[in-house]
Amino acid sequence: MRDLLLRLFPHRHPTGLVEIGAPGRESPVIVTGNYTLTVRRMKRALRGRDVHLLVADSGGINVWCAAGGGHFTHHDVVSVIRTSGISDLVDHRRVMLPQLGATGIERRYVADKTGWDPHWGPAHLEDLPHVLDRAGRVPVADRKVRFGLRDRAEMITVWALPMALIGGGIGLAFGGPAQAAAVALTMVAITCAVFALVGRVPLSGPGRFVTLGVVASVAVGGAWVAMEAVTTTFSSRDAVLLGVAATATAGLLAVDLPGTTPWYPSAMAKDAFTVELLSESCTGAADCVTVCPRGVLRMNGVIRKVEIVDPDSCIQCGACIVQCPENALRFRRADGRVVEPETIRTTRLNLLGSRTIEVSH
Amino acid sequence: MSSYVLMKILESSPERYDRGIRMLNGGKVDAVYEAIADIAARPGGRVLDIGCGTGNVSIACAQRGAEVTGVDIDAGMLEVARSKPPPPIGSVEFVQAAAAELEDHFAPESFDSVVSCLALSEMSPDERSYALRAAHRLLRPDGRLVIADEVLPAGRFRRLAHRLARFPSVTITWLLTQTTTRAVPDPVELVMAAGYQHVEMAERFGRTLMMVSARRPPGPGGSNA
Repeated sequence: MRDLLLRLFPHRHPTGLVEIGAPGRESPVIVTGNYTLTVRRMKRALRGRDVHLLVADSGGINVWCAAGGGHFTHHDVVSVIRTSGISDLVDHRRVMLPQLGATGIERRYVADKTGWDPHWGPAHLEDLPHVLDRAGRVPVADRKVRFGLRDRAEMITVWALPMALIGGGIGLAFGGPAQAAAVALTMVAITCAVFALVGRVPLSGPGRFVTLGVVASVAVGGAWVAMEAVTTTFSSRDAVLLGVAATATAGLLAVDLPGTTPWYPSAMAKDAFTVELLSESCTGAADCVTVCPRGVLRMNGVIRKVEIVDPDSCIQCGACIVQCPENALRFRRADGRVVEPETIRTTRLNLLGSRTIEVSH
Repeated sequence: MSSYVLMKILESSPERYDRGIRMLNGGKVDAVYEAIADIAARPGGRVLDIGCGTGNVSIACAQRGAEVTGVDIDAGMLEVARSKPPPPIGSVEFVQAAAAELEDHFAPESFDSVVSCLALSEMSPDERSYALRAAHRLLRPDGRLVIADEVLPAGRFRRLAHRLARFPSVTITWLLTQTTTRAVPDPVELVMAAGYQHVEMAERFGRTLMMVSARRPPGPGGSNA
């Protein structure tokens, strides 16, 4: 419950070494950010194992958002490796980095500065036990982000709960308990329906307005029928109230629904990018393949080069471009201009999903 | 890209930092910046500002003719720092790096002074002692360290009273600017533990801000390891 209430707020866990179980000199070393919820889930997922967990400063924000927004970088990882004294506690130098941090953490920078051998972990921390059993090797399926039942339920709660409370209050003020319940239920129903549909119908781009309109209309219709059945006092004013509630809900969700899922580029981003592979520069290092959360890229073992196999799934996170040692990947804007890899490395997303925040090296 | 809208709005914002800090300290903080620069900066002196944030101390030092390098881990803060007008004399350069990366950028004994204002309190205890030891190695022999940070009163009861008294202003400041500060438990003890000499509390600003000055021991081989 506490986790849910705090879901949308930055919440800082103290940084530094956290020992899980009774780790020894050969135990794995894993880096994560200092969003309290992440650290707590990490401990739960790794219960019964012995791990040195290095909590790096991500500003109390989850790894993906923090890395994308410039709050979680290789500087933070170098800092926690050096200041935690982990080098004196283990005999190996393998360290697992969070895959979803690949938009901000340059793996090769960490290796250069610390002498450690960083490798990417799975996209979801729930898969860590599974990956540890395979000596740190991440199966292809574990590199992809999922938007599972649990994630959907969480997003529904954080969106629908405050909306239903406010909507219910307004319903109570303009009508009575019946109107309050109807408004709240309509809002919850719309939110549930929308998150259930993510990945199944168009929810990014202009298509989302059509989807949201249909969902909202169905919900209002349903609530209308239900209210007619249970109450004798249903008036045209109540119908207006329901309509306003449904429009407000759909409107709020339309602002950045894609951005709250891991499947779409933020709806608020103004620039559309396409990822481009310069095959002649590719040396088959395949760093990009191990960090792509959407399975866009694949290593072709025959020609020993990477190929783009599923461009439509790309969410323009830029992780592949940031990690490529040969600068063989880059973005192209809709207007045809090229965005060089160095620009991607030195800019981060701002609130509106545009690459405006500059970072230097 | 997953942009949790609320989280993004509520995260600390570099643009609002200066205003937030002023609100919390009732304008006293400008006096702190000047006081640090008075001790640490002289014409031609090389000054390192650890955790320079939006660059106020760095600029105050440069205005006294010093050649200043400000270092911060936060790209957004540095962006604000770089946008401020450069002082007519002295020089300022800003570098993005963690406090633990200082020695990747600078040679041993390459600074006359090291300053740090409201920055050690943002670090973990591990990072704090690492940064102070690194600063020790970067200072020339007899070089000067000046830090200023928020402190808590001694004693559990007085600490609680202090927190309660500050609660309204801290809450309002956070709501308006998403800026807040933390405290360093004992700055004097911290600096002494890192191997400095002549550690003294130089000045207090109100009940909450303390400035500490210290020196690296003179002569080469003043190792703190």
